[in-house]
Amino acid sequence: MSPNPLDDLDALLRAIPGDPGCSEGDGLLDAYVELELAGKDAALTYPGIAIHLRSCPGCRTDHDGLLEAARLFGTVEPD
Amino acid sequence: MSTGQRTGLDRDSLGWLDELCDGHPRREQAIARLHELLVRVAVHELGRRRAQLGAVSGPEFDDLVHQSADDALLKILGKLDEFEGLSRFTTWTCKFAMLEVSNKVARHTWNRQRPSGDLEWRSLPDTFTPPPGEQLERREQLLALSAAIEELGARQREVFVAIAINGAPIDLVALELGSNRNAIYKNLFDARRNLRRALAARGYPLLSEDGTGT
Repeated sequence: MSPNPLDDLDALLRAIPGDPGCSEGDGLLDAYVELELAGKDAALTYPGIAIHLRSCPGCRTDHDGLLEAARLFGTVEPD
Repeated sequence: MSTGQRTGLDRDSLGWLDELCDGHPRREQAIARLHELLVRVAVHELGRRRAQLGAVSGPEFDDLVHQSADDALLKILGKLDEFEGLSRFTTWTCKFAMLEVSNKVARHTWNRQRPSGDLEWRSLPDTFTPPPGEQLERREQLLALSAAIEELGARQREVFVAIAINGAPIDLVALELGSNRNAIYKNLFDARRNLRRALAARGYPLLSEDGTGT
């Protein structure tokens, strides 16, 4: 059973200043993920994206998928 | 990307860019290899999103895989000059596959559910009405929120109720409303901010000013 969103109104109504929206997130998502894979603090370099990923379920799903895909398939060479 | 910018790239990324250039003798092989990578990413990602896809298998699943990989490949080949080297080339390409999968999954779900009218996300669920046993302050807070939602503009109200309350996928809502994810997210963000302010104005400020928990 899914959790009731009304149980955490603070999260339900999260609207953090500095959230750049989905477009900037899409553009730099690969750079963000690459830093994470390198064990670096991606949120320090891209704070706006870190904020956005906390609040946007669509971009968070894409981020999680990209992190996994880059980890699994990122070492493929051209030939 | 200029020759000067290329100096910071890793060896594999340089190899990809070189071989994908027009006129390179191994360009076709590199494109085939890239397509193979995109197919693998799409298969993996569509598997990860099975819950949203529903009962899709066989040729239908394969179609989604190849549509995603084909469209991602076209976009990548058309944007090679825009690769800035902020990530490995493969990570950059995986991003295009990911965005195509997102798009295809949303459209597939929408095509399946829309005709049967299953998009029941426009009304506040019963659970929104606090039960009699709920603490008085909690009851009043929820009633204040309910009233504030009713006062939102039509688009913000629809988007907020669909995504935040009823858990509808943002891409599905974007398709239903003839919009895109970024615009719908802006509606959602504004709705959340307005509701937070409205609750505070009614005497029910939340723990933090913006939801950061600080």
